[in-house]
Amino acid sequence: MPEEVRQGAKPLRQSGREEMLLPEFDYHEPSTLEEACAVMTALGKCAILLAGGTDLLVRMKKKDLVPDHLVSLGSIDQLKELKVSGRKVQIGALVTVGQIAESERLGDVLPALCQGALNLGSPLVRNLATIGGNIVSARPAADLPPPLMAYGARVILASEKRERTFALEDFFKGPGETVMESGEILTQISLDVPPPHSGAAYLKLGKRKALEISLVNVASFIHLNGPDGVVDSARIVMGAVGPKPLRAFSAERLLAGEKPSDHLFEAAGKAAADESSPIDDFRGSAEYRRTMVSVLTVRTLRSALARARKK
Amino acid sequence: MWEESENGLMKQIKITVNGQEYDLSVEPNLTLLDLLRERLGLTGTKKGCDEGDCGACTVLLNGKAVSSCLVLAVEANGKDVLTIEGVELEGGDSLHPLQKAFVENGAIQCGFCTPGMILSAKALLDKNPHPSQTQIRRAISGNLCRCTGYQKIVEAIETVCNGNQAKSKPK
Repeated sequence: MPEEVRQGAKPLRQSGREEMLLPEFDYHEPSTLEEACAVMTALGKCAILLAGGTDLLVRMKKKDLVPDHLVSLGSIDQLKELKVSGRKVQIGALVTVGQIAESERLGDVLPALCQGALNLGSPLVRNLATIGGNIVSARPAADLPPPLMAYGARVILASEKRERTFALEDFFKGPGETVMESGEILTQISLDVPPPHSGAAYLKLGKRKALEISLVNVASFIHLNGPDGVVDSARIVMGAVGPKPLRAFSAERLLAGEKPSDHLFEAAGKAAADESSPIDDFRGSAEYRRTMVSVLTVRTLRSALARARKK
Repeated sequence: MWEESENGLMKQIKITVNGQEYDLSVEPNLTLLDLLRERLGLTGTKKGCDEGDCGACTVLLNGKAVSSCLVLAVEANGKDVLTIEGVELEGGDSLHPLQKAFVENGAIQCGFCTPGMILSAKALLDKNPHPSQTQIRRAISGNLCRCTGYQKIVEAIETVCNGNQAKSKPK
């Protein structure tokens, strides 16, 4: 290799090993939610909650985040409960993405959520990553928020003083930004079991099948007024095409009261694409993303319809 | 539980690695990967990207395959860890059937991904002894290999499944 080329070549790793070490922090391990709330209130903004760690520890290694304190939620069993009872589904914030992907009960009542979970990261990440972490990190391309929003999920935030409940779609403010205040902990995700004659589906488009961030993702939910009836209501959520997961309200309005058909779904897909606001970046152009919103919307609606007709 | 040391606050943990119990004093910012490699000398677990993308550091934590670079040593307190060294021990006097299958099928080239691949495969086979090829490919989808093109790895895992099938058939 000529000398000048070798000198100009980038080192194999731009940051040395030393820089990949985790910064120092104090570690706290409360064993109850009350204790965790008290610790978070006392430490304020110097502390970050640790759940699965798949996002947080990487950002700490890269020194994007250098908290003085980590407060682990790993010893609070209450946050690990997953309950499907009657018409309610309650998912503790620390339930892992792997548990959701493999849960037969959830696969039965909330199949689009399981599709989202199966598309997140890799098995090695899913076994650590938690549903709460995937929500509070508020990444616009995250896999769980679109299906959760399509199912109308609510999130419960606890702090020392009070408990607050938000519809998930009111929880996100922008990339990495949510309504959470200092001292608050996301404890639970709560959903209603969808009514009969309803169905939902999630699709993710990436450049490969595993360990991939969404180029575009879409979750659609439809509720029919009978087995072969018209659309009673619909919710379509688009990810990675805006600062936060976006509802395609105009597409939803198009569907309401209409008899499902390919023609109708294609019109809804176009309306959803018009409502998305993707950006150009190295993963794909805005134009491509917008076109794919339309394709994924049509496909998820077809799959949601097939599920709605089965139930 | 806490004690002061030169490096600030240390935490006492009890951890079982490959069937052996350890009582250790660790820094909060030590990863499970660094604990295994640097403190316990178990260098079979590899450090690749150190950010959860490559799977070279895969171990089983309470039976589940995880990237050990994304787990704090303190979080592994009270848990059971299996590394490639423990897999070999399970094979008794010889290699574990998965290890043998990797050798015999040419599923190892440079070898850096192999411990992680074998642990991901083991997690799958422990749960599902007769997986489909799709299930095998999905199980190792977090483990990157830059040498083999994956085909021989998938074939090696399949021969172990088929071996089990042969054994379970009445003669």
